[in-house]
Amino acid sequence: MKKLLMVLLVLSIALTAFAAGKQEKQAADDTIRIGYVSALSGDTALWGQAGLNGMIMTAEKINAAGGVLGKQIEVIGLDGRGDPMDSVNAYNKLIDEYKVVAVVGTNFSSCNIPIAAVSDVKKVPVIATAASNDLVTVDEKGKLHPYSFRLCFIDSFQGGKMAEYMLDKGVKTAAILTNIGDSYSVGVSEYTIAAFKAGGGTIVAAEEANSGDNDFRAQLSKIAKSKPEVLFIPWIYNDVSLISKQARELGLKCQFVGFDGWDSMELPTLAEGALEGAVFCSRPGFSTPEAKAYGVEYQAKFNIGLEAECLYGNDGILWLAQVIEEAGSYDPEAIRAGLENTTFFDGLLGEMENDPLTHNPKRELAIFTIKGADEVFVEMYN
Amino acid sequence: MFLQQLVNGISVGGIYALIASGYALIYSLLGFSNWAHGEVAMLGAYVALLFTASLQLPFIAAAIIGIGGAAIISFLNERLAYRRIRENKAPTMFLMIAAMGLSIVFQNGSMLLFGAKFQKFPPIMPVSSISIGSVHVGVLDLLTLAVAAVALIVLEIVITKTKFGLGIRAIASNTATAGLLGINTNKMFALVFAIAGALAGMAGVLLGLKYNVYPTMGNIGLKAFIASVFGGLGSVRGAIVGAIVIGVTEVMVSGYLSSGLRDLITFALLIIILLIKPSGLMGVSVEEKA
Repeated sequence: MKKLLMVLLVLSIALTAFAAGKQEKQAADDTIRIGYVSALSGDTALWGQAGLNGMIMTAEKINAAGGVLGKQIEVIGLDGRGDPMDSVNAYNKLIDEYKVVAVVGTNFSSCNIPIAAVSDVKKVPVIATAASNDLVTVDEKGKLHPYSFRLCFIDSFQGGKMAEYMLDKGVKTAAILTNIGDSYSVGVSEYTIAAFKAGGGTIVAAEEANSGDNDFRAQLSKIAKSKPEVLFIPWIYNDVSLISKQARELGLKCQFVGFDGWDSMELPTLAEGALEGAVFCSRPGFSTPEAKAYGVEYQAKFNIGLEAECLYGNDGILWLAQVIEEAGSYDPEAIRAGLENTTFFDGLLGEMENDPLTHNPKRELAIFTIKGADEVFVEMYN
Repeated sequence: MFLQQLVNGISVGGIYALIASGYALIYSLLGFSNWAHGEVAMLGAYVALLFTASLQLPFIAAAIIGIGGAAIISFLNERLAYRRIRENKAPTMFLMIAAMGLSIVFQNGSMLLFGAKFQKFPPIMPVSSISIGSVHVGVLDLLTLAVAAVALIVLEIVITKTKFGLGIRAIASNTATAGLLGINTNKMFALVFAIAGALAGMAGVLLGLKYNVYPTMGNIGLKAFIASVFGGLGSVRGAIVGAIVIGVTEVMVSGYLSSGLRDLITFALLIIILLIKPSGLMGVSVEEKA
């Protein structure tokens, strides 16, 4: 019995080594390898998987149409588990072992901030998807990370814009609940508060909590007492559903306002009506005809729920393809220069322009409201 | 405001109590912390969810099946994993490691099986909260507290008043002697695991109702574990008191000081209690605490 176990153990180790060895081999001459890092397992794998699926589907289309510079594109996705350290390891592994020329991902600021620092040394461009904290492309001293880019608008952009939007709607007092364990939430909160105050509004309560708390009634009770007109909730969708339900239970009647962390089609159902009439900003998502058609094709291929993250996967790889074509080279250095000087790229997330000084794209905000079980597109706000 | 926060705290503590009492029960018999306990709660919630979602069973029926499912899973843990280790006369540490392994298997297994996304039970009540003066009490919280209170009172009566409870206490006091006196220890262990599993399943279903169902929801077991250390490992009453104290402390700290300090103060309180009274608030033995 023990011998048999030993044999099995040795065999399995040998197999793993063999499998790993097979993948490690260099990309063939006729392929360009592009990496992808995100949470492919865990609580947020919903988004990570969607991003990877989007990349794979679009890469197949590019390849079917003759590829880029006559070469086929190969997408390699590694699991960063939504964890900063695992994500950095995945980025390194993509470069050292798989020899990718550029990396797309992740969707979390907390993972991309350390990746940006590593990219300064590794010199392989990384395009964050939904990571919207300022520090993803520019360090604390204001120095640009030359190899770090992003597709989404930044926290300051949406925080500030959303505060202005509410002020435009005649709102005077607001409360905010921040997730102090998440740099995304802290970043959005900071700029929302600053812009709301600058525009003449009053922040009547600014409370803090941690993701994984599940119970926010201690903070919400305090917020309810301050009677705000709106409550800003810069959180991820599961927490948003809990926060909104508990707030309504405690008798808080104000309007809820959110950001792109709300962008999941499951949110209205999870919140069970507590978010009726709430507004949030995000990308236009599947509201444009092109994105809608892509979504139909995506669902036919993968047979899973639609998540806007697949559009990021699509835009990430399309942007890289455009830059590589224009530069006529897939050297990481050439890609970096091309990304930096992009003045026009039209993907499924809408038109964008890269700011060469900050690597932050300039985009319009899409405003959505929650009606019943749907997220309804209201308007583009600039 | 204070009353509202007190109500908030007790309702958080109620859920901790259901899980903590299971920890305490198992610790009192086997002297080890069953790290897979939180995951049993999670699996109970998933079983109930499967029955409401796919078979369209009414919620109460599905909840009972979920509780039964958790009891069976907990029983199987003991039968398939822990019993072998016990019979090998292996150190308690092995049981704990096995429990950690089970916890990881359950968490990742359910991620594969059910996916990582958050799922919810269909709404079971039209009204979500009742207002008494300026205090708002969630109907679900009242239900949680009522279910937890009834379950824990029944558990207390079973342990202190029945022959079966006497058997449990005898084994807790000395397993070998209890065996010599004619108590079928294996049967008792199996039953205790099933009871602890049922309590966990109840907690899982209630947690699922309040906070949605997802594969890592069993992590709340850590808080419950702290509550049971706080109250004195192995003491069911202590675990319940510990759970309420931890729940109220957490809410009060977040409400009046800062959320950032919440865990810091909770753990500081735990350390102080353990320094003053190493066996916890109501614990009896000072041996191996984890």
